Amino acid sequence: MRKSLLILFVIFVTVTPAKSQIVNKIPLSIRQTGYRIEATLDPSSKTVTGKMDAFWVNKSTDLVPDIQLHLYMNAFRNNKTTMSTESGGLSGYKDADSGWIDIKSFTDRYGKDLTPGMQFISPDDGNLNDLTVLKIVLPQAVKPGDTVFIKVNFVTKLPGKIKRTGYKDDFFFVAQWFPKFGVYESVGMRYSTKGAWNCHQFHANSEFYSNHSVYDVKITVPKEYAVGTGGILISEVTPDVNGKNKILIYRAEDIVDFAWTAWPGYVVYTDQWEHVKITLLLPKERTDQVDRQFKAVKIALEYFARNVGKYPWPYLTIVDPPAKGIGAAGMEYTTIFTSESFTGVPSWYHLPEMVTIHEFGHAYFMGILASNEFEEPWLDEGVNSFWEERIMGQYYGESEGMFDHPWLKIGDKSMSRLSYINSIGRQVVSNNEYSWNYPHGTYGMMSYNKAATWLYTLMGIIGEETTNDVFREYYKKWAFRHPSGNDFVNIVNEVVKQKYGGKFGPDMNWFFSQTLYGTGICDYKVVNFYNNKLYLSDKKVNKTDSLNTIKTGSDSLYKSVVELERAGDVMLPVDVLVHFKNGEGIHESWDGKGRFKDFTYTGASKIEWVKIDPEFKIRMDVNYINNSMTEEPDRVPVRRITDKLISFMQFFISFISL
Amino acid sequence: MKIFHSIKSAVLRTMNLWKGGLIIWISSFLLVSLLAMPIKGAMNSGFGKSMITEKLVDGLNFEVFADMGTAFKTIMSFFSVGLFMIVLVGFILNAFFTGGVFNRLKGSSGKFSAGEFFSASAKNFWSFLIISLIISLIILVLAFFVIGIPLAIVGQSDNSPEGVLFRTGIIVISIYFLLLTILLLVADYARAFQVTMDKNLCFKAIGFGFSQTFNTFLSSLPLMIILLLVQLSFGWLVLKILPGMRPANGSGVFYMFLLSQMLFFLKIMLKIWRYGSVTSLMEINTLRDNTSEISSESDF
Ligand SMILES: [Zn+2]
Repeated sequence: MRKSLLILFVIFVTVTPAKSQIVNKIPLSIRQTGYRIEATLDPSSKTVTGKMDAFWVNKSTDLVPDIQLHLYMNAFRNNKTTMSTESGGLSGYKDADSGWIDIKSFTDRYGKDLTPGMQFISPDDGNLNDLTVLKIVLPQAVKPGDTVFIKVNFVTKLPGKIKRTGYKDDFFFVAQWFPKFGVYESVGMRYSTKGAWNCHQFHANSEFYSNHSVYDVKITVPKEYAVGTGGILISEVTPDVNGKNKILIYRAEDIVDFAWTAWPGYVVYTDQWEHVKITLLLPKERTDQVDRQFKAVKIALEYFARNVGKYPWPYLTIVDPPAKGIGAAGMEYTTIFTSESFTGVPSWYHLPEMVTIHEFGHAYFMGILASNEFEEPWLDEGVNSFWEERIMGQYYGESEGMFDHPWLKIGDKSMSRLSYINSIGRQVVSNNEYSWNYPHGTYGMMSYNKAATWLYTLMGIIGEETTNDVFREYYKKWAFRHPSGNDFVNIVNEVVKQKYGGKFGPDMNWFFSQTLYGTGICDYKVVNFYNNKLYLSDKKVNKTDSLNTIKTGSDSLYKSVVELERAGDVMLPVDVLVHFKNGEGIHESWDGKGRFKDFTYTGASKIEWVKIDPEFKIRMDVNYINNSMTEEPDRVPVRRITDKLISFMQFFISFISL
Repeated sequence: MKIFHSIKSAVLRTMNLWKGGLIIWISSFLLVSLLAMPIKGAMNSGFGKSMITEKLVDGLNFEVFADMGTAFKTIMSFFSVGLFMIVLVGFILNAFFTGGVFNRLKGSSGKFSAGEFFSASAKNFWSFLIISLIISLIILVLAFFVIGIPLAIVGQSDNSPEGVLFRTGIIVISIYFLLLTILLLVADYARAFQVTMDKNLCFKAIGFGFSQTFNTFLSSLPLMIILLLVQLSFGWLVLKILPGMRPANGSGVFYMFLLSQMLFFLKIMLKIWRYGSVTSLMEINTLRDNTSEISSESDF
């Protein structure tokens, strides 16, 4: 059996060099970094011992004196790290729960020790207790085009309280586990004015940023463990019949991170969507959810392929972690992601579907379009939530996508809008902030919900098909690169100009300056409308800037006036629908810029009702109630709700009294 | 046979008590209206002349309510405080009226008189209130011990496999329902006993409730299970019908209102029927017991 191990090792190191193609026929990215890791999981000590060969290519024109690597796992080292302090000192922290990564050796490809140049840095906050960024000053600066090879031996201890990564008993989710290159940003890339490493510390409210890489990962785990990874399985060997371990070799190409999970309790299902083989790992008690998961992910695959671009990998792994591993749920690593569910989740509660669609969407928004989530979380979470809500709305119902119970229906996009409009912090900061700089706990509301809500608003203004074109163009231009928010805005400007010419002005910057970069709220309201009967002496046509409808041959004429107001700071073009008692309707457009706007009509019929934004396109509007006004509001639903409330209380009191 | 005889006899007694049911229904309606009407007013003023209520035609739409902003938060806090008060008063009122109900359900018959009904309610009030409070307290405490603690232990334990929590939940809830059945028997027997006494003897009544329940366990338990199953099916039916109803016009809402109130009246009558069945079974059993007691006494 030793022999087979040896053969395996030879195959491993010779057959899969970083530039070869196994997953796809041609490389999808420039592959500035690559990793070959041998990892051994020790379930008793909760450690992963790793041997890593990795490279970084200097694609810039700079002479680069150092390299910088993330040692993410050190964020779990104690309660003084930046992640710990930002999350309130990790409540109930125990030493046994800590996680860390220790570098045992660090050399160049020839074995020359690089540790003398090693130093921990804290570029974000200067916290000396934070050891999540490692800088290595190299003996010689790296010339443009040169490649740095490193060999690192490390031991990673997984944290006992899972936060994306960690363990619980025999359940392991292994992520952010190996020394990982930061992104060297040369001049002109994103917002760079001079070449520098972009290598942030691990924050409580931030996720990641990295280059697209090749990964060859050899994982050794006890035989009874089921393993899921972001790579494709090249070979699986159990070296010794009596041995207790098995060796799995995986290959992944052009993904931004490599994560894996191991747990004896998984059952594994597979399914196929076009070119994509889908693997699902979940606890055996949840086999009734297998179809739901596959259906959701296929919907997402189809929707993204149609409206954004191709999912380029031939495989995808979904993990539905058990209850004890819930801390790992709802996280994305491009070709592997975790959903979120629980045993017996009712069919009307679409949590598993929503999380699956969301996490899958990240394969596009930061997987393929690898934006910097440290610095621009909205470009990742907000854009992705927008797509998740669209898919949930289309396939699971606009008003019942999240909860679809006869008693309670809530749409996914409603939850998002509500979280934004009801937040007391909705104006405290703009959407353009580093992840860890959102004050008053507004990170989630801002980066996910406000961003998704104004993206919906943008779609309301430019239309659904143009919105899809924007994203198709974004994909075409930026796939497997590192777009910034500005790059996205530029794409919007280009596409909108192509489609509409100057209809919305020279560009759409007026929109982004108010929504993405601004803190104002949007609130349009109908203040009043009235109909004054004109007496003969008054019977002259009132010429105003609005339409005049004059009915001849009728007995009386009315001067009807609609008074509108912009109550918020955000100025957006809005549709106005004025409805007359004779059944006629007039569509008006208001540029929304003034503080108020009046529409005056002279005609035979009186105004019956007025609606601003009748199709609810401007989802940023923080109050829909004041968007419309009628002389005779429909009170029936309120009566119905009151009557139901009465009988609910009657039955409830009778039920609880003996 | 005793069981069916009790159930049948209770049907007659319940039908004779429809006026009592009516009194309970009216008082309950007035009580909850105290809370519902201001909420209705607040909703109407919150929506003003808006047409947003169109969005409520298909059912509760949280987006619409959330747009009310602070007004909605005020309504919700008013509702939660109000609901607590209403439930409290409802509980007390219920203790009051059951006094009259149990009194009327006694073997004796005769024409229903509101005066008699209210005076029996008043006479037994304190005893009934204490019985209700004590049994309710036991039910709450049991929920904590029988459901809360086992689930907490299973939920905390890291080693229990997926789904154990779910299965444990089903088991403990079944056990809890069995205990609930027994406690309802105790409460009903205690009250049926109390109305036969001249004075308020709540603790003695509870004692009687327990002894009667366990002495006649083999007939009492099946009786109560049958009664509760009927009530449960009725509850299920109500849940199937009412919450899903979404009439769009005024008359539709009015019919829905009538239907819901009729269903609630039926719910009251079903409960009276439960009280009647237990009373009737008690009468059958104690009659027999008394005769056997007398005969055994005569041995001495
Ligand atoms: Zn996300």
